[in-house]
Amino acid sequence: MRLIARYAKEREGTFEIVTVFESETQRETISKENPVIRTLAKKHPSAIWFERKMSDDFGIVIEDAFDKRPLLHQERFPKAIHPMQKAFQKNTLDFAEFTPYKYEAIQGDGVFQVSVGPIHAGIIEPGHFHFSQAGEDMLHQEVRHFYKYRGIEKMLEGKTLLEAKPVIERISGNESIAYQTAWRDIVCQAAGMELPLSLRKRHAFLLEMERIIHHLTDLGFIPNDAGFGAALAFASKLSEDARRQLQNVTGHRFGFDAIGFENKVLDISSLYDYLDGLQKDIAFFETWIMDIPSLWDRFDTTGILQKADVLKYDTVGVVARASGFSLDRRSEPFYLEHGFEIQTEQSGDVAARFKVRLQEVKNSIVMMKHFLEEDDTHIDIEKIKDGDYTAFAESSLGELFMNIEIKDGVIERFFVRDPSFMNWQTLHLMMPNNIIADFPLINKSCDLSYAGNDL
Amino acid sequence: MIQFWNKRVKEGILTEDTALDKELEAIKREIKENVKKKFAGSLAIRMVDSGSCNACEAECNALSNPYYDLERLGIYFVASPRHADVMLLNGLMTFNMTPHVLDAYKQIPEPKWVITLGACPVMEAPFEKTFAVKAPAADHLPVAHHIPGCPPEPLEIIRGLLEFLKKI
Ligand code: SF4
Repeated sequence: MRLIARYAKEREGTFEIVTVFESETQRETISKENPVIRTLAKKHPSAIWFERKMSDDFGIVIEDAFDKRPLLHQERFPKAIHPMQKAFQKNTLDFAEFTPYKYEAIQGDGVFQVSVGPIHAGIIEPGHFHFSQAGEDMLHQEVRHFYKYRGIEKMLEGKTLLEAKPVIERISGNESIAYQTAWRDIVCQAAGMELPLSLRKRHAFLLEMERIIHHLTDLGFIPNDAGFGAALAFASKLSEDARRQLQNVTGHRFGFDAIGFENKVLDISSLYDYLDGLQKDIAFFETWIMDIPSLWDRFDTTGILQKADVLKYDTVGVVARASGFSLDRRSEPFYLEHGFEIQTEQSGDVAARFKVRLQEVKNSIVMMKHFLEEDDTHIDIEKIKDGDYTAFAESSLGELFMNIEIKDGVIERFFVRDPSFMNWQTLHLMMPNNIIADFPLINKSCDLSYAGNDL
Repeated sequence: MIQFWNKRVKEGILTEDTALDKELEAIKREIKENVKKKFAGSLAIRMVDSGSCNACEAECNALSNPYYDLERLGIYFVASPRHADVMLLNGLMTFNMTPHVLDAYKQIPEPKWVITLGACPVMEAPFEKTFAVKAPAADHLPVAHHIPGCPPEPLEIIRGLLEFLKKI
């Protein structure tokens, strides 16, 4: 049973612990006086981050947890403050005394530690990686994040779904459309409405557009990290072209505010031409890049994630698919009718993740052609009903889970689990048997979000 | 590989002949002159993300794609604050990131400037102030210039850098 999410909600006098598995959702109620639960991490290791987050957020004690360190609250965060509790209403905090964080590390003769971040070398989001090294060999790595923790879950409480939208679409810039799609599904559920097929197609078109932009960027950056800059020049031109197309269609280069309940008429024929051109460019890129042995020397067998680990750690997205796991939220009739084919590889290495991305770009282009149609549908949103709503989307990174509870017309609890939240926890499994110089390559081949993870 | 060279020979160098290209060319010339005059031909920027949605970074990365190719003008994004003249700061100055941002600023040798990028560091993005947000950045750092947008498009960033260069 795949674990999707585990989170807490505050009720009167109690906390409700919600655990979402692929096929069922379990709920457990605990008292506020003695908020203790048992860990799930012995069966599902990835549950530990969810549980550490719960402890920080609400002060819930995870009784038999093997890891009780804070997750979101870093060295200078005041202890004994649990900001997700309803009673906590302050919008500012003072820095507390520095309490060191104890990193997981391997000790021994000749073993040394390498710390990277939070500010990385380059134009990249902040995060921290801690390596235990024996010479060049990586023995162990710990990922530590939440530098970008903006308190978004709290920020959205008390807002209507419409008011929350501008924030939701800015949780992770690379996945803005995916976040908006999940939001849209929740609005539809809450309003008891069915989305017209034409809108669904338009939104699906935009989601694939977002995916190819993200993938194209990676298809340049991954070879670049192996010292092959020409690929970056080529692919970054393609991704810039795609971004300009997204701007043409939505008025914004990242599609902020693109998903709504109204369709604008598009210039379909120029989009077809664009897609035809891209199809040719990608075909060229593929023959070119597959033919550079020194590159594949770096890609093949680097950063392997075993299929068994995908299962054990509940990994999602490109990372899971590259290890032979057929998991994609688009595996459903609507997408299948429009040309979706799931892309998987077996080797689970950098090469496999690169190839999955390349194949997905090609498949997205095919789908995008099917999704294009002239249409100017407009629907009105009916009254939003109170309730507990859940939605999924397949972002460019993988399965996105969103849960919004509405009470008295406004958000009572907002919870979102970015695909990266699962996959960051898998990253360390790809490190042993590799040298530290391969780390950027492995990391880039997974290309996870910090913003979506940290919230 | 041979195909790549064939394509190059057959198609030559690809440029876009649009109004944008012309504007870009004009700005680029001015930037180059200013960088030469005021920074001896090379302006080093340390970009620091203090809690963004990553779209601002994506646009800064786009500055090195073949359309904009900022490095040709002597503007470099460097890996260490100790090599930098300018800190380009984006994001919301989160509680968790603020001490690290201040630390990075300290490491930049004098003379140094801070440029804020995007709506986040000036608290103009749709985000609200929570316990976890320390923006605006100007509460913590001397900000010399601001480049607005959410995110600013590459051309707007380039324009903003030029404005900064003219200003100092
Ligand atoms: S300014 Fe806008 S685009 Fe830039 S990081 Fe903030 S929300 Fe994202």
